[in-house]
Amino acid sequence: MPGMINHLSPLLVVLLLLAGLLAVPAPAPQGVAQGAAPPVVALKVLHLDMSAPETGFDPVLTSDLNTAAIEQQLFESLLTYDYLARPVRLVPRLAARMPEVTQQGRHWLFHLKQGVWFAPDPVFGGTRRELTAQDVVYTLMRFMDPKNRSPYRFLLEGKILGLDERARQAQLTGHFDYDTPVAGLQVPDRYTLAITLKTTDYNFGHAMAQPMMGVVAREVIEAYAADTAAHPVGTGPYRLAHWIRSAHIVLERNPNFRRELWDFQAGSDPQDQALVQAMRGKRIPQIDQVDIQVVEEPQSAWLGFGKGELDVLGLSGQFAPLALEGDQLKPALAARGIHLWRMSDPSIAYYFINQQDPVLGGMTPEKIGLRRALLMAQNDTEMIQVVHKGQALRATYPIPPGVAGADPNYVSLLDYNPPLANQLLDRLGFRRGPDGFRRQPDGSALVVRYTTSLSSQDRELDEMMKKALDRLAIRFESEKLKFPEILKAERQCQIQFRLSAWIADYPDGDNFMQLWYGPHTHENNAACYQDAEWDRLYAQTLTLPDGPARSALYHQLARLLEINGVTKISTTHIRNVLSQPWVVGFKPHPILPSVWSYMDVEPGAVSAP
Amino acid sequence: MLAWRRLRADRVGLGALGVVAGYLLLSLLAALGWVAPHWEAEVGSHYAPPSWLGAAPSEAPWDPAPQSHWPGSVPLYGLQDPLAPLLATLGPPPGGVLAPVEAPRRSTLPLGADKWGHDVLAKVIQGGATSLQVGLFSAVLATFLGTLMGALAGYFGGRVDDAFNWLYGVLTAVPYLLLVFAIAAVLHQKGTGTLILILGLTGWTGVFRLMRAEYLKHRLREYVLAAGALGAGHWRRMFVHILPNTSHVILVQLSQNAVGFIKSEVILSFLGFGVPVDAVSWGRMLHEAQNEMNLGKWWQLAAAGCAMALLVTAFSLLTDALRDALDPRLKS
Amino acid sequence: MSLWRFLLRRLWQMIPTLLGVVLLVFVLFNWVGGDPAYLLAGKMASPQALANIRHQLGTDLPLWQQLLRFVQQIVTLDFGNSWATQEPVLQIFRTRLGPSLTLLLPMLLLETLLAVGIALLVAAFRGSWLDRSLMVVSTVMMSISLLVYIIVGQYVLAFLWGWFPVKGWSEHWSHNLTTYAVLPILMGLMVSVAPSVRLYRTFILDEINQDYVRTARARGLGEGRVLLVHVLRNAAIPIVTNVLMGLPGLLTGAFLLERFFAIPGIGREIILAVERSDFPLIKAATISVALATLLTNLLGDLLYRWLDPRVHLD
Repeated sequence: MPGMINHLSPLLVVLLLLAGLLAVPAPAPQGVAQGAAPPVVALKVLHLDMSAPETGFDPVLTSDLNTAAIEQQLFESLLTYDYLARPVRLVPRLAARMPEVTQQGRHWLFHLKQGVWFAPDPVFGGTRRELTAQDVVYTLMRFMDPKNRSPYRFLLEGKILGLDERARQAQLTGHFDYDTPVAGLQVPDRYTLAITLKTTDYNFGHAMAQPMMGVVAREVIEAYAADTAAHPVGTGPYRLAHWIRSAHIVLERNPNFRRELWDFQAGSDPQDQALVQAMRGKRIPQIDQVDIQVVEEPQSAWLGFGKGELDVLGLSGQFAPLALEGDQLKPALAARGIHLWRMSDPSIAYYFINQQDPVLGGMTPEKIGLRRALLMAQNDTEMIQVVHKGQALRATYPIPPGVAGADPNYVSLLDYNPPLANQLLDRLGFRRGPDGFRRQPDGSALVVRYTTSLSSQDRELDEMMKKALDRLAIRFESEKLKFPEILKAERQCQIQFRLSAWIADYPDGDNFMQLWYGPHTHENNAACYQDAEWDRLYAQTLTLPDGPARSALYHQLARLLEINGVTKISTTHIRNVLSQPWVVGFKPHPILPSVWSYMDVEPGAVSAP
Repeated sequence: MLAWRRLRADRVGLGALGVVAGYLLLSLLAALGWVAPHWEAEVGSHYAPPSWLGAAPSEAPWDPAPQSHWPGSVPLYGLQDPLAPLLATLGPPPGGVLAPVEAPRRSTLPLGADKWGHDVLAKVIQGGATSLQVGLFSAVLATFLGTLMGALAGYFGGRVDDAFNWLYGVLTAVPYLLLVFAIAAVLHQKGTGTLILILGLTGWTGVFRLMRAEYLKHRLREYVLAAGALGAGHWRRMFVHILPNTSHVILVQLSQNAVGFIKSEVILSFLGFGVPVDAVSWGRMLHEAQNEMNLGKWWQLAAAGCAMALLVTAFSLLTDALRDALDPRLKS
Repeated sequence: MSLWRFLLRRLWQMIPTLLGVVLLVFVLFNWVGGDPAYLLAGKMASPQALANIRHQLGTDLPLWQQLLRFVQQIVTLDFGNSWATQEPVLQIFRTRLGPSLTLLLPMLLLETLLAVGIALLVAAFRGSWLDRSLMVVSTVMMSISLLVYIIVGQYVLAFLWGWFPVKGWSEHWSHNLTTYAVLPILMGLMVSVAPSVRLYRTFILDEINQDYVRTARARGLGEGRVLLVHVLRNAAIPIVTNVLMGLPGLLTGAFLLERFFAIPGIGREIILAVERSDFPLIKAATISVALATLLTNLLGDLLYRWLDPRVHLD
């Protein structure tokens, strides 16, 4: 049929089109800035990924680690943590030296470095703008301004003399008064800041080392009031060069960054020697550009690293078996010169049971026994092997390794022991009904509701809990909520049973122990545990610096949580980070969210193979 | 009858019918618990490979039931344990520990095992029952709703059309995923019934649009006008005269929706709205297998993927055959 | 009825639909959307901090005032800033729509061209081995989940063979279209072409059996001309309906593709907004999709009229 030719032609066109698309050459090497004129000197570019989108670069509004990692490079706080020292140690950043702490940790005197300049911005009208103590005061005040609704307000709330009163006044008038000085924030001269606290607080230095405490300039914030998150102007080693929101962030050197040389001392880790040798005496920063892509699917990030599109990769748990054999890098990867960095996170995953729940709450022996049986039925080893693919450690103590106050030798009262848990339930009167499931001692039904989020990892947690409750012959009910809903239910004491996690804001045990403090109910005491004895012991720890006296109290606190069946600490995550052979001077830090200004990439190294 | 004779002559169609019937039977037996009732039993070792591959070299064995500390031997730091008297009567067993017993597991299974050691074969069968149930019931619900509303809107036009178009407009205007999130949150329960409702209540709009177009096209055709002139009422004209002439569209939609919903279940699983934890579906299996494939444990992906592809293919071929057999214009 | 009167009437009809959408979204997401204050408040929020956040967001106002504000926002087309990132909502749309369209427009175009072409081909050879084998192949293709295509495609085509970048996006749409969007478009086509082929084949076969086709053939027209001119022209109505139905979907993007290939599109943003209870973004997304849907419906009816004069516009 002659007509066939006619109606085949559109198909041909389509096929040709498709062939044309497929024939498009592979992308240009990524080391070259795309679209721009070819640079004369090859820039040193660090290619990174981020597992969730950033939320904008106004430090006062930041609540997530990804954004904090970028702000760590854009802004500077008074203090920071030493790159190599383990356990981590506070060191000055904007401060010229460590603060003078007097009056049992109530008075903190900071001396600032001189010659610290903000990155250039049109707001400064072409002149260089130096950072002064007044900028620090303004930055701290911003956290308490109700308009800013800062997620990290708690770092300052109830601490600085006169600041809370100023916030309360702003709540009433709708206007925060930044101009009148506050009693607790005094500026004797341009480079000196005297902070007076309401009560003893030995951890205040940690608060001043948070990336969100990075100092901003008042005229910049006020000039860009409509969208401060889009105009980060800080004193850090980098500034924001290019930004496609939720997708692509490029940082470049801050031309105004002061001359600072790499001078960190090797710690106890033998790997530190080579690192120090490679980096000592170099000017900070060495890398010209940091190129960060948001890659939400771990598969994409893993394949991207394998192809050399990424220079450093935080290995997600599910891909660990691909890269690791036991705790070693697979020989094939090691042969390519890829390096594995392995360390335990300053975090805990912990089960908690709501103490105010009508079914599980209460302090009668039956209820305590029921809760302890539920916690004893949790198989943490299986959780580590099957869910975390071996990339977690069994944790027993509320304070994880690497955090002041940790005790790796603590023995749990609630180890995995289903036979004992079943014996306990039998003896306490939780008899099995005709359907095979246990009932309450009074004969009424017993259902345990376990809450998880909608994410796919949490499906595995459901499966773990279903198995645990099957071991006890207790009926299981799954409650799936979106994450904000879980937070809401926790704050309202409506969660019955959940596996929660906490990562250190600052490396001190108090950041973990406060999770069960009675007055923190409706805040982050999600177990809604209110026990006079526990609260009394905890209040004592607040007046003590880290040391044997505080540790003795912490041991009692931890044991009491188990005796009363409030919490069982389950695991601590292991962080695996891979770096390409051309990455130099890199070592992941347990607390600092990013260390890019301390790193280097080998000259001439092109990231695409 | 004519249609059945035509279908019998279509060998591909008959084959497809056989496959679909086989799946339905197997699913019915599985739902009744006569086949693969114990898919939740952990009969194999973790990621036990399929039998024909032979057992995997044991990868760094771990103790599934580690020794645990007897509560009585743990220091209490001067605190009182209210359960201490009871624990004392239970006493530490001889040897000091009370270790849980683990049943022995098989190192291979016919189609391998998943990460927990569940038999993949049993999971495929049970998962198929769930997926078929979800796909069929939600497709029937969606097609029924869409056909009824599309017929009314297209046939009567005017205010009736406006009213249904309003409903259609409102529901399709809300982005599909937001609608899914919202309906899931309103229903507030996780379960297979919820899945069917989500898919059915959000999926009827496509059918509605096509059926409305069909009725717009048909209502002015000669045979309908003639039926009207002979005194046939609206309902008769809509559902006796026009409906059979649109049955091929309905069938194609039914098939496509069933197929689509079986696949949508995969996406809903990805978003966390899948079947509950004590049920298994192909969507859930594929979702689990997403990570397994990267680890080289491809058997769950292959088993669920093949089972699903075979059913969906057979289902679609069957519908094609039905469509040819039912086509009203081939009658003469 | 004149075209203008028809247009006016349809535009007037959009208002109740939009109101319906506004009400539905407002009720659904106030009822079930969660309280964003808990997320925004951070790790250690006090009840006072929560109250302050609600006050700043305006979620402590009476419901009718919030609804009024919503309507006001639609009228002024100013949805304020995202609650999660403070980014102006309009800017989110302006910047995220481009990538989604770069991905989805070529996909829709190729899908339609491919599907119509293949459907005509199999219709021309209906009943032959070509028809049967192509239908079986397309049936098998569409019975595989998009998730499987993405996972396998990204692994094999991008990683093992290195034909494409694994993921990424640049600022230049031409670079994106020729480099980063190719693999996602290909993966999308794998699942979207087959159902369309099946559907369009049905439409075309419907028309092939009509009397006018026989008449045309009887008049001695070639089979190709009959198919391309007469059959395609009539089958175009359901085909156009089907394509139009896909248009508003361009505004919500393809979140699976966007997530796996790290494309800064709008689909990903909407999922994030739901997870974060970012109500301003949800509202804006819903309203713009609503408008798009209504406008394409109108366009569809106009096209009916153009393609098939037998359809009256009343």
